[in-house]
Amino acid sequence: MRVVIAEDNVLLSSGLELLLGRAGFRTVAVAVDAPGFLAAVREHRPDVTIVDVRLPPSFRDEGIHAALRARREHPGLPVLVLSQYVEQQYAAELLSTSGGGVGYLLKDRVSRVDEFVDALRRVADGGTAMDPEVIAQLVRRAGDPIAALTPREREVLALMAQGRDNTAIAGQLVVTDNAVHKHIGNIFAKLGLAVTDSGHRRVLAVLAYLNAAGGTGGGTR
Amino acid sequence: MSEPRAFPGAAWARWTRTGRAGGYLLGSLLSGVATLVALPLLCVPRLARLWAGWHRDRARRLLATTPAPPPAGPATGHPTGRTSRALLWLPVNALTGVAFGLPALLCVGNVVVAVVATPLWWAFDARDRPRLFVDVPVPDWTTALTLGPLQVLLLAVAAYLVFPPVAHAHARICLAVVSAHPTDEQLAERVAVLTRTRADVLDAHGAELRRIERDLHDGTQARLVAIAMRLAVARQAFADRTRDDQLVADLLREAHEGTEEAMTELREVIRTVYPPILADRGLDGALTAVTSRCVVPTRLDLGSLGLVPAAAEAIVYFAVAEALTNVARHSRATAASVRVHRVADRLSTVITDNGVGGADDRRGTGIAGIRRRVLALDGTVDLDSPVGGPTTVTVELPCGW
Repeated sequence: MRVVIAEDNVLLSSGLELLLGRAGFRTVAVAVDAPGFLAAVREHRPDVTIVDVRLPPSFRDEGIHAALRARREHPGLPVLVLSQYVEQQYAAELLSTSGGGVGYLLKDRVSRVDEFVDALRRVADGGTAMDPEVIAQLVRRAGDPIAALTPREREVLALMAQGRDNTAIAGQLVVTDNAVHKHIGNIFAKLGLAVTDSGHRRVLAVLAYLNAAGGTGGGTR
Repeated sequence: MSEPRAFPGAAWARWTRTGRAGGYLLGSLLSGVATLVALPLLCVPRLARLWAGWHRDRARRLLATTPAPPPAGPATGHPTGRTSRALLWLPVNALTGVAFGLPALLCVGNVVVAVVATPLWWAFDARDRPRLFVDVPVPDWTTALTLGPLQVLLLAVAAYLVFPPVAHAHARICLAVVSAHPTDEQLAERVAVLTRTRADVLDAHGAELRRIERDLHDGTQARLVAIAMRLAVARQAFADRTRDDQLVADLLREAHEGTEEAMTELREVIRTVYPPILADRGLDGALTAVTSRCVVPTRLDLGSLGLVPAAAEAIVYFAVAEALTNVARHSRATAASVRVHRVADRLSTVITDNGVGGADDRRGTGIAGIRRRVLALDGTVDLDSPVGGPTTVTVELPCGW
């Protein structure tokens, strides 16, 4: 699988290259800023891209804008955004672009190589990878309705929201696929959600639910 | 490219200023006349102060939009001084309002006359034709189409040139009369306050540096040392002739977990130094993020703030975040609002909720922490939270450094 990376810090980009190379990915270009990234995407048409939120020249949120722009130029382009800290706002902006293939993870997660590679594969396949921290914030905020769920169901809900499929959830929690299926059925019933097949649509449904439960009117201007 | 576009922009801004100045002058005329009519009523000290205060705010608003900084800071002084100034303002207002406002009314009135007379002169009775240029009757289309537009043009040019300076002169007179003139005693007091707050700023700054140093030293640095030791032992164990694979694996796992904890801690330290979202998106974006994250639906109302020092931005952000955390935890509110506005050199932040009230900043550490930071910048924090609500937190910061 061919990857384009946008990361200005050589320590980090060379680390990523090393890690991706061992996991069977081929890094075709490393861009150090947003225009370079967009040009590299146009030239190489990668299978998946990895973008750092902060890029030169101002080291603010150029990476988010570059990721959104790249997805506008190439609908469905898989983009995994890495950040030094999580900000729900960024997650929401990335998810608001149409189609799947988006991820938003803390940089820390890279060090869990297997999980990181799994997330990257999922994004490349059109799935979703949301950082557990984003989901934890949403779940904390959601409050009451979530309280009706058992602890195990809450775990399953969080993993679903992160974009994991049933098999991955079963593996993570060391239970059978069948058990996960039952938990999911219970969750959707308790929250009053229509059962959605797995994949990006299910993630969006769960995230939308969490978002709505956590207070809707936020940030009206 | 930018040059030709910049010029109409500047001219447009000047026209906007002319319009504002015209409105201000007509308002001054009205208020001058109103002062004469309602003079006995306005001599009541309370009403006089309200009336003067309204004029002061209006004058400040007009002057704040010009590049020159407004002359007066927050109103200070004794109530008796304020009352006498307010009473003095009554005759001055009547006089200057009429003197400055009447020409403006004549100017605007004659523009209206010309605009009406030019197309409609024929509709008036022959003996009572509308007059342009004060006393020239309009008998035919030629006169109407030359003198009418000419009158509009000349008066517009006059307004363009004269309205802004005249309105500003009126506003300055108003502020000179109504604002406190600090006495030597008050100035000495102010110097004493500033000396004290400057010492507080240095103290607060020093305490902040020590906290950051301690967090990094006890947290991140200690963790890195622990990681380095585990890796060193793992290397040794790896080179041993009788290698204990389980030990090496355990050490590597522990070192790995240590790096993750160090990263989490470091992120927290960074957040308390300067919130990353503020660095990324400025105060506007950061407040949008923090209000939309709040469990209680929160309205954000952000005025035009101009350049705000980073230290003040950070405090506003922390204050809003802390106040909204309290709203979510304790207030049982169903709605909240955050309003950030700047009047002259004061940046004011007001966080309100419709909850149960009864908040007391001596009980929690959150607002107390905000108060310390705000005081360090010579600002003020007001917590108004009667039992039964609503709760309002007001943070005022000077930002005209």
